[in-house]
Amino acid sequence: MTSAKPWHVSEEDLRAYAAGDLPPPRLWSAETHLAGCPHCRSVLAEHADPRELADGWARLDAELDAPSPGLAERLLLRARVPDHIARLLAAAPVLRWSWFASVLFVLALAVLVGRTTTPLLLLSTAPLLPLAGMVLSFGPGLDPAYELTVTAPLHTFRLLLVRASAVLASTLPTGVLASLAMPSFATVTAGWLLPALALTTLGLALMPRLGPVLAPGLVSAGWLLSLLLGWLLSHGPPFPYTAVGQLTTAGTGLLAGVALVAARHHFETARHLTPSFRFAARRLL
Amino acid sequence: MTTRPSSSGTAASPGTAAPADATRRPAAGTPTVAASGLSLTYHRTVALDEVSLRLDPGVTGLLGPNGAGKTTLLRVLATAIRPDQGTLTVLDDDPGSVRGRTAVRRKLGYLPQSPGFHPGFTAFEFVDYVAILREHTHRAARHQEVRRVLAAVGLSDVRGKRIRALSGGMRQRVALAAALVDDPGFLVLDEPTVGLDPEQRIRFRELIAEAGEDRTVLLSTHQTEDVAMLCRRVVVLAHGRIEFDGTPAELAEQAAGRVWASTAREPAALAGWRTGTGEFRNLGDPPDGARLLEPTLEDGYLLTLGGLPTKEDA
Repeated sequence: MTSAKPWHVSEEDLRAYAAGDLPPPRLWSAETHLAGCPHCRSVLAEHADPRELADGWARLDAELDAPSPGLAERLLLRARVPDHIARLLAAAPVLRWSWFASVLFVLALAVLVGRTTTPLLLLSTAPLLPLAGMVLSFGPGLDPAYELTVTAPLHTFRLLLVRASAVLASTLPTGVLASLAMPSFATVTAGWLLPALALTTLGLALMPRLGPVLAPGLVSAGWLLSLLLGWLLSHGPPFPYTAVGQLTTAGTGLLAGVALVAARHHFETARHLTPSFRFAARRLL
Repeated sequence: MTTRPSSSGTAASPGTAAPADATRRPAAGTPTVAASGLSLTYHRTVALDEVSLRLDPGVTGLLGPNGAGKTTLLRVLATAIRPDQGTLTVLDDDPGSVRGRTAVRRKLGYLPQSPGFHPGFTAFEFVDYVAILREHTHRAARHQEVRRVLAAVGLSDVRGKRIRALSGGMRQRVALAAALVDDPGFLVLDEPTVGLDPEQRIRFRELIAEAGEDRTVLLSTHQTEDVAMLCRRVVVLAHGRIEFDGTPAELAEQAAGRVWASTAREPAALAGWRTGTGEFRNLGDPPDGARLLEPTLEDGYLLTLGGLPTKEDA
């Protein structure tokens, strides 16, 4: 019995393999052989474009070194969100289970109350959830790395928009599901979408002026007050849920959007985003 | 968001870490930081009062008591907040405009007093997050840069550990690694050695000294030892004003002839305490025939502050 004579892929084939020109079945043979032959791999490296080889090693290093991301980040990556955007979102509290569970709890409670007594709880809380999410995902005292964020070259306003999309993506579908769970009020309860967008935009637009606590606080209080007054003065659907109310809300949202874009540069420094109530009150007065 | 351009205007090549870039260093003869007449008031409290400062390569220490305005000054220099008045240039760019501010931020590393780690992130993930905030979008190049800075602070072995599982000293090193992403020409460190044990503090000093070899570092600290061991220059800030600006030796010299030993407490001394030998070490104007002692940096610092009129005196 004689042992098999060691063989190597010819230089010509290796050159063609490196260039991507080697046809099957020689390609399959070369690939199988390369996996187990250090000599041929080193010869292949000589024929490969050094830049492509370095890129390949860098990609391999990056894959080996990359920490396994959390569940939320994995879901984002599976949804084909670019990895750097997924990481920016993963740092936001809105993508944590505690926030998502809170949203589900509030909406479930609102649906329960709505199916047994009045839809007012759902109508009042659902539009505020995206605003609450935005407050939690951005701002001093709430974003732990806020100071690093605001001094980074990436524009803070851009980060704000990225996180706003995550907030809306996590709250709007659950709100829609909650609306569908209330068949007798489906039309009215779906009317919270416009107020949700308008309140979120208004809260953000006022943030540079009033700070990250007072701005959403005032917007929320104003919203709840308008619902309460409407409920006391008439027995029909609350004003924001009427046709005129929806138009008014849409107009307010548009104006707030214009104001938000105009104030975008104020998000780039920290001073006007101080969480101090006293400072905010002074700004207001 | 696009791939982060290098300062030379070309896109960072994949697989390469951010190199030391000439534009991240000041032009010959120009200071890294030139601040003039910086003033800032919070709720009627003057945080900065006409502060003028020039910073050159090397480590500069910023000393001052609590409330002196150190963190405010650092935040202004790091472009986190804008001053009410004054002019500022950092590495030839004016952070007063949106474009200038972004340009400064690309050349700046900042370690705030509370870096604010995201819970659940590993050391690698946190630095990676900061690299993304610095506009690194190319995954392989970004990860290479993250590995580079984690290796520079000696954390390669624990890069996969959750930050909450790291010691205080290691967390500070993670924050320093984040500040070193992109090899910034100006490094702002706000009390990085607070809460560290002596061994960790010495390790951290080594890192700061290394970082200061080829860039400008401004180190805010309460520890006069940090200044004595690291800094070629020291600035003392009190009530938002610069009260001293010179070398550590010159600060110590402020106390020459004003430190003396005694066997009993000296009521006339501005400050005095019993030392390990049982003698009192006194600062102030010594009585005739007092046995004078060699002044230290801390003596000079205390006398610089002790010579200030208090608010009640003013």
